Amino acid sequence: MDYFKRLEQETKDLYEIANKARSKGLDVETKTEIPLAKDLAERVEGLVGPEGIAKRIKELENDMSREEVAFQIAAEIASQDVDETGEKEAEKKEQLADQGLRTALAILTEGVVAAPLEGIAKVAIKKNFDNTKYLAVYFAGPIRSAGGTAAALAVLLGDKIKLATGLSNYKPINDEIERYVEEVELYESEVTNLQYSPTSDEVRTAASNIPVEVTGEATDQIEVSHKDMERVETNNIRGGALLAMIEGIVQKAKKIIKYSNTLGLPGWDWLKEFTHEKPKEDEKDDENKEDSSPKYIQDIIGGRPVLGYPSEKGAFRLRYGRSRNTGLAAMGVNPATMELVGFLAVGTQLKIEFPGKGTCVVPVDSIDGPIVKLKNGNVIKVDTVKEAKKIKNNVSEILFLGDMLVAFGEFLRNNQPMLGAAWCEEWWIETIRNSKKYINDNKNLDLEKLETEKLSAKEAFNFSEEYDVPLHPNYVYYYNDVTIKDLNALIKWLNSFKDSFIEGEVFALDLSYQKRILEVLGIPHELKDSKVLINPEIAYALLHTLTNNLDESKDSTIEALNDISNIEIKNKAPTYIGTRVGRPEKSKERLMKPAPHSLFPINHDGGSRRLIAEAAKKGNIRVDIARRKCPECQSISFSSLCPNCGTPTIKGNPKTRTINLGAMLKKASDNVGVRQVDEMKGVVGLISEDKLPEPLEKGILRAKNNVYTFKEATIRHDSTDLPLTHFIPSEIGVTVKKLLDMGYEHDCYGQPIENENQIIELKVQDIVVSTNCGEYLVNVANYIDDLLEKFYGMDRFYNATCKEDLIGQLIAGLAPHTSAGVLGRIVGFTEALACYAHPYFHSAKRRNCDSDEDSVILLLDALINFSKSYLPSTRGGSMDAPLVLSSRIDPEEIDDESQKLDIMSKFSLEFFEKTQKPYKPSELLEYVDNVGMHLGTPEQYENLMFSHHTSSIHAGPHLCLYKRLNSMPDKVEAQINLAEKVRAVDQRGVVEGVLSSHFLPDIMGNVRAFSRQKVRCTKCNAKYRRMPLTGKCKCGGNLVMSVSKGSVTKYLEISQNLVNRYPVSHYLSQRLEIQEFGINSLFESDKSKQSSLDIFFG
Amino acid sequence: MNDIILKFAKKGINLSPDAYKKIISTEDPNDFSTSLILKLKTKNYSKNDFISLKGDIVNHYIKELGIKTKNENKKEINNLNSLDNFNKEQPKNNTITKEQQKNNTITKEQPKNKENLINDEISNKNLIKINDKEVSPEFKRNLTKPNVNYDNFEILKDLTNQSYTSGELNNLVTYFNNRYQKLSKIIEKHPEMKTHQKISEIGEGQTDLNLILMVNNVRTTKNGHNLVDFEDDTGNLNVLFSNKNESVFKQSEKLVRDEVVGITADKRGDLAIGNNIIFPGVPRMPNTNSKCGIVFTSDIHIGSITFLEDAFVKFIKWINGDFGNEEQREIANNVKYMTVDGDIVDGIGVYPNQEKELAIKDITEQYDEAARLLGDIRSDIKIIIGPGNHDASRLAEPQPAVPEKYAKSLYKLNNIEFISNPGYVNLDGTKVLMYHGRGIDDFAIGVKDYSHERNDLIMEEFLNIRHLAPIYGERTPLASELEDHLVIDEVPNVLHTGHVHINTYKNYKGIHLINSGTFQTQTEFQKIYNIVPTPAQVPILDNGEYKQLKFID
Repeated sequence: MDYFKRLEQETKDLYEIANKARSKGLDVETKTEIPLAKDLAERVEGLVGPEGIAKRIKELENDMSREEVAFQIAAEIASQDVDETGEKEAEKKEQLADQGLRTALAILTEGVVAAPLEGIAKVAIKKNFDNTKYLAVYFAGPIRSAGGTAAALAVLLGDKIKLATGLSNYKPINDEIERYVEEVELYESEVTNLQYSPTSDEVRTAASNIPVEVTGEATDQIEVSHKDMERVETNNIRGGALLAMIEGIVQKAKKIIKYSNTLGLPGWDWLKEFTHEKPKEDEKDDENKEDSSPKYIQDIIGGRPVLGYPSEKGAFRLRYGRSRNTGLAAMGVNPATMELVGFLAVGTQLKIEFPGKGTCVVPVDSIDGPIVKLKNGNVIKVDTVKEAKKIKNNVSEILFLGDMLVAFGEFLRNNQPMLGAAWCEEWWIETIRNSKKYINDNKNLDLEKLETEKLSAKEAFNFSEEYDVPLHPNYVYYYNDVTIKDLNALIKWLNSFKDSFIEGEVFALDLSYQKRILEVLGIPHELKDSKVLINPEIAYALLHTLTNNLDESKDSTIEALNDISNIEIKNKAPTYIGTRVGRPEKSKERLMKPAPHSLFPINHDGGSRRLIAEAAKKGNIRVDIARRKCPECQSISFSSLCPNCGTPTIKGNPKTRTINLGAMLKKASDNVGVRQVDEMKGVVGLISEDKLPEPLEKGILRAKNNVYTFKEATIRHDSTDLPLTHFIPSEIGVTVKKLLDMGYEHDCYGQPIENENQIIELKVQDIVVSTNCGEYLVNVANYIDDLLEKFYGMDRFYNATCKEDLIGQLIAGLAPHTSAGVLGRIVGFTEALACYAHPYFHSAKRRNCDSDEDSVILLLDALINFSKSYLPSTRGGSMDAPLVLSSRIDPEEIDDESQKLDIMSKFSLEFFEKTQKPYKPSELLEYVDNVGMHLGTPEQYENLMFSHHTSSIHAGPHLCLYKRLNSMPDKVEAQINLAEKVRAVDQRGVVEGVLSSHFLPDIMGNVRAFSRQKVRCTKCNAKYRRMPLTGKCKCGGNLVMSVSKGSVTKYLEISQNLVNRYPVSHYLSQRLEIQEFGINSLFESDKSKQSSLDIFFG
Repeated sequence: MNDIILKFAKKGINLSPDAYKKIISTEDPNDFSTSLILKLKTKNYSKNDFISLKGDIVNHYIKELGIKTKNENKKEINNLNSLDNFNKEQPKNNTITKEQQKNNTITKEQPKNKENLINDEISNKNLIKINDKEVSPEFKRNLTKPNVNYDNFEILKDLTNQSYTSGELNNLVTYFNNRYQKLSKIIEKHPEMKTHQKISEIGEGQTDLNLILMVNNVRTTKNGHNLVDFEDDTGNLNVLFSNKNESVFKQSEKLVRDEVVGITADKRGDLAIGNNIIFPGVPRMPNTNSKCGIVFTSDIHIGSITFLEDAFVKFIKWINGDFGNEEQREIANNVKYMTVDGDIVDGIGVYPNQEKELAIKDITEQYDEAARLLGDIRSDIKIIIGPGNHDASRLAEPQPAVPEKYAKSLYKLNNIEFISNPGYVNLDGTKVLMYHGRGIDDFAIGVKDYSHERNDLIMEEFLNIRHLAPIYGERTPLASELEDHLVIDEVPNVLHTGHVHINTYKNYKGIHLINSGTFQTQTEFQKIYNIVPTPAQVPILDNGEYKQLKFID
């Protein structure tokens, strides 16, 4: 059966089970509450409605672009005829406008993000002072999740609805315009910076010209001075509205003009004024020129080491290509490098110089590893983790970090001009493939074999002569990293021992200062008894390359070298990438703080651990709760069907009530036959609007199986997202039989699957979860089985005893800020603390792989236990909840980031050559192949290839040093030790950077926070802006400080230690000294100082 | 010019020839027209009224809006030239210029009424531009011991080495209770507050309330009333100030968090309705009959690349009697005291990336440079130096004096006294309360109708509420000392502040309110906040008379 049909069938089976369970009437609803959506149209309908709209969207999609469909839908919904009259009519019209806007916005945001639900508070039809009517869009904070363009489009949609319903323009009065000006300014000074800081006049222009009112809810407790205005309901800052106006309309002016033109919306020409503003931004950049260092290195944070200064020699070498576990922002590094630096585990984030800002590190062992100098003076190339582990403690310097494998798609995605490709085997092979001799000789040379073959130096030189190609990269060193003068010095030294060299034997030289030149050239050698020993192959290469003295007047070393060499010597590393360690990898169960087993309120009766059993000991407790009532027999319960007579019950209003928790717990525990309920934790109160509690039985069974619930009653496991397009069965722990059962047929070369070491292309909705995720999901599966068996009286479903039993089971992937789950299937496990899945799968959740993380939910858990009625009633409450399940991934309907994924097995010679000039990536598209070029064809799902193999997707450390070390001093110590070792890093710069961008600001911030801190009640948790004069909480409880002394002095000691041990600028050490003076003055009474002096002087 | 007529016509306003003339005589007729139309349409008339605009109405608004007409401007410059025969240039801040007005409309600190727009106390009469005439080319340092009597110099309050907080929770309780008690004592003296009670003592059926309370929070209700959450050391009380009772409503608009006031209120059921608010206030202070000159400075920012060294050296030459015309040198000769109210140096690490704006990157060297410059001042002038937020001291107020460790070279000079912030000195009978002025920010940025430009109004408010930085938890970090030293216990003759870099002067109930401006040009930070400093203008009380000297063109 077709993969997607098969997934759908299995999903439907689970829906049946869930609906059957729900039909027992023990839950809030008698049916599962997650609608299933096959495509975007259905997702939109499931997420925001209205019913039946999916069909209309699909009709329109046939000959309209996505944007056109959205605007058409908005107009159609809003301009429907209404039957109501009078006040009802106005109300209905508002409601339709509201619906139209939300539905259209959902289409524009792919029916995934929460913005259409949470980002728009409401849409209203209001009156101008000339009595004409206009449309007002009320934005809320979460509009942020939609991004600037979508926020601006929401305004444009309002304009479309205005036109479609015959409303007039919004005509702001001067005060309203000035209110925007004030709010923008206040927002920037009091809340946070906007991505674009408009001038006051720009805000005026925007505010007076936007044809609908961009308004919204108060988002921050900051009052404006333009208060109590007739048409602006709040006196506080309207953050959502400002985002829509500034980061939307103003910042994306160019796009908006384009959209308004193609969509035929008149009256947006005034925006042209903003498109000329570009030089202004440049000006800003100029101001920052003094600090022109790339963003990644501007902040150096304690415990997050810098691995390379910007473009510094010895940092990561740029190598183009994609492995089966890179792309979509993830980049490959040799696992030996990861092992050596310790701070890089699979999935650790790196902030990078280019392309883009960040990446996740994954192991790729077919690229170059590090070159290190050992304490005994030897220089070696480290290619394997095993070797790295062996020499790790003997490293005195990391001369080169090795390669970073970067996909062309990353350049395309970030519009980063091309940078010179490393001189590497795959390029060398292409030069042969394109050589005259190869073409004329009828190509009877096995290039594939040659690419991996180890050539002797002599063979390499022969090849170059024979085919007239540059020297093989293995015998080319980092010549361009030293000066011509240095190279001449080296030549002189080599020459003085040249006569003693015998081919095939070790070349020995007397130790001299030129050894350092060998080191920075990356030439492996040994030091023994004051002799420098070079292996015969390398010696051969060196003596045949450096045949003569170089002309020191040449522009570059490589140029001078090619002058004397009759074989072309390529620049081995034209591009080095500076990096800094960012966020550590993560894979952990989702826990609320504190973590409950059940969404059952017990007030403060459960003690500080919120134990339900403890509250139950009191018998009756008072909680804010709603109940259900049977209209027939008047029985009270929490069930949707009356436990007495089976009639559907009616929900009551929440109220503070006395409940007999003791009896309830006893009954529940009898129900499911679990005696041990001591550890079950509840919540203090329900934060949902309905305030309906979960059945206690669910909590009991969760506690029994050691799993915890999230706010909407599902159980989550969070992991860092990593991409995977191909896997090897043995590495992810899946058997051939199981694979065949799951519908896998052949490996990526088209051969039938016969053994566990073949490379197999991953199906787009299959995922590889972490081992600890798998183990947690086994507990979840047992919980579900217990629930089915003991609570619903049904058959167990999963019957899982180990994580392997879950292979083939369905899950929902769900990312923060979104409200649509994506259907996935577990295919195996990784030891890495991450979730490997197809790039499409991550894109469907609107994530990429630069250290985003999100969750997986066992599908049956979501279908049975999730209820909208548990969601917090606060703004943003429905974010990160599975409001709809997307069952099929269509690459055309997901974030277009994944369409830039490279899928070719190799680059052409032209490509390599073009990278040496800063072409725009879009100019090189003819040389590459990516997903975007196969959209809508069967190839969008299969035969996606990779160019670089890796033998394991979880080689190297699984826990980075940042997480292995416990205390900040230890982390900083390790960071600075590493800085000392890496050649591409300036240790003093790192120490100063940590002090000036992390510790000192932290100390200063905490001192400031200390002297304006709030106090908090230990009993009822009430917060006071200032210590009350009574010194007590209203409830009589004790108050404690919210900023402790410890948090102020936390980094003081480490900083002092750093200043004492390393040479840092006087400026920094003085800054620290002054802070110390201030802190002592705050924490030490002068009286105690005096009295101790008094004692001293007797 | 037809534009103007058209502009009015569009809004249904007919201009009389006289009115038109008046309008085009203003400095920026276009700008003025906009404001005028707005005023007319929002205040006096409805949107659809047709208006015939006469000259006298225009005149009224020219005055109300404080608009400069072209002719008037000229006149003032002429006046200056003929009367004082000083520099031809018009002093920058005797009136708020058009530009500043424009800026004011953009910033949120837009002063609302006319009073807020023009500080008329710094009039032409006492603003003096120092002549660019050097008397002697060399510094003439007075190295001999002066024959001056300092018997009447006294430090009334210096909190250095008197920080008794240990950062514990109970310090916070003590601190705010001390503030409450100190201010209660002052308010108690008010006749209406002689008998007052605690919140816990309010009886069930009691209707009249007399209480001394600390403000916890001020809110505006849906109906536009002010609801204030008050407390004392026995409990909490909400008091409603109805917008129907205009006078008390206006008073309540002025309330800021954590100040202490007296309240009389009617209790109706659970709700208390405020009748009157009694602020601690200050009595009128008699003239001090001072017989010497006191020079007030602050915010010199030595070490910053934006420090105006030339102007400062000019100032020193003047004070030494080596600069200016005879009359101006006469003023210098009379000077006996000089105060430096914080930020004598730019400090280090005060804000992110400050390093780039520093000429001297070492704090000790900054104070050394200060010593070099101040060392040139004749030694018979006593200099009192307090810390500011840029100095090497703790940030939380009260700030102890700059420690000798960093300012050794200044400590070596015999004529310099170091003092805390705030600090209180008696200069031959003139009591000067020196406060650097962080607390001004809380009002200028956080409280409606206040601005950095008119910090004199904020100082007036400090005196009314008898506290220098009442608002806790915002911009001014406060140390929870056992005693609240920021309470103005004793009423001074001079309240001297700095920090905001904008000179102001006001005589309020006989008390000189002086902000001594700066010797630094506009900083990046000020650019962002649209704060236009008034550099190198030095206030002086010359035998009790206020004068302001300008050392920059």
